[in-house]
Amino acid sequence: MTGGRLHPFTLLAIAGALPALAWILPAPRGGAATAAVALVLTLTPGASPGLTGTGVSPGWRPGLVVLRTAVLTAAPFWLFLLLLHDVPTTIAIGLRITTMVASFVWLVAALQPARLVEAMVAAGWSASVAYLLAATLSAVPVLKARARRIVDAQRCRGLSPRGGIAARLRALRALALPLVLSALHEVDERALALETRGLVPGIRRTPLAPPPDPAVEQAARWALLLACLFALFRRFL
Amino acid sequence: MSIRLLALIPVAAAISLALSAVVDAVALPLFLDTTGTILATALAGPRVGIATGVVTSAVNTLRNPTFWPFVVVQIIVALYAWVAARAGLFRSFRTAVPAGLGLGVIASVTSTPISYLVFGCTTTGGIALTTALGKALGLPPLGACFFGSFVSDFGDKAVTFALVTSVLHALPRRTAARFPWALRAIGAA
Repeated sequence: MTGGRLHPFTLLAIAGALPALAWILPAPRGGAATAAVALVLTLTPGASPGLTGTGVSPGWRPGLVVLRTAVLTAAPFWLFLLLLHDVPTTIAIGLRITTMVASFVWLVAALQPARLVEAMVAAGWSASVAYLLAATLSAVPVLKARARRIVDAQRCRGLSPRGGIAARLRALRALALPLVLSALHEVDERALALETRGLVPGIRRTPLAPPPDPAVEQAARWALLLACLFALFRRFL
Repeated sequence: MSIRLLALIPVAAAISLALSAVVDAVALPLFLDTTGTILATALAGPRVGIATGVVTSAVNTLRNPTFWPFVVVQIIVALYAWVAARAGLFRSFRTAVPAGLGLGVIASVTSTPISYLVFGCTTTGGIALTTALGKALGLPPLGACFFGSFVSDFGDKAVTFALVTSVLHALPRRTAARFPWALRAIGAA
């Protein structure tokens, strides 16, 4: 079964369990095993370039784009670790960080936010929680684009973002204030839109197309949790 | 929680993440990634502030997974901002900037163990380089890690508090009055 077809909670459980095991299991073998599993996951067919924003680049087969993102994200940590630590410590911490990075890059590529929202609603989570994640994800690119427009507009009016620290701080205020104030003025519009759509906190909604959650996957999630607890128990007791 | 406060949370979290575009434009060594958390707390109290901090960390984690362990720092920031708002410390720059410096110390103390134990002090290039500088100055590993976090957090939180103060004072009174804590935070109620 590929990552894209797994239940969203199973994807989250795998992405949470791998880094946990990387830190719990003895280094460097534990970290090497979990990093290998996480890197292999980035090659599974269900992991397609998603929120990572990597896209398809020349010279990389589409199936390797997620792996490349994971490797490129983890690489600077190895460099900084070598700068600060000896080789054994670098390997131990580097493998753990690589596990964490590869797991999350795989998760972001394999997890569809809409399926997660449906799964959360089906599991009885408040629709408000699902709204918070979905609304923030959609608001960030909008506000970033607005920030760039404000930067351009202020430059046209003669604002210079260069010079000494005091000049840059004044420029920062002139750029940030319109962005934040305009965003805050949207709150009432958003609240009205939510009320119109009946999103009242505490009310349980019916999911339109909840993702199937087979008993095997539910058992696998419990098994992952037990594996982490067992590893923790063996390591420290 | 009212619908207005629920709608404030994603807006505030998005502000934290979108301000990176402004920081890039002025090329200052700042993050401003707690602006939304502090602003939401000053406007609407600790529950909204903590929720904003957690959502900010969750969404930031999708961009860079190393952000998630620092969700604790966002919660501490929200609690500190609540105390500052209750004390009316956002009423002027003279009170807000020292409060921000205090938060810088607290944030560094909170983030240092996470950075040291989880990442070996390599969370960002800047922090790794300042940590290396601390080691070169003869500091022990944990001390060098704190030095790296302190250098990055100290000024950042002071600027963030000053920015939030500017926003709170620039808000029209009618808009500010719609949020339960806004007027008290600036000492107007």
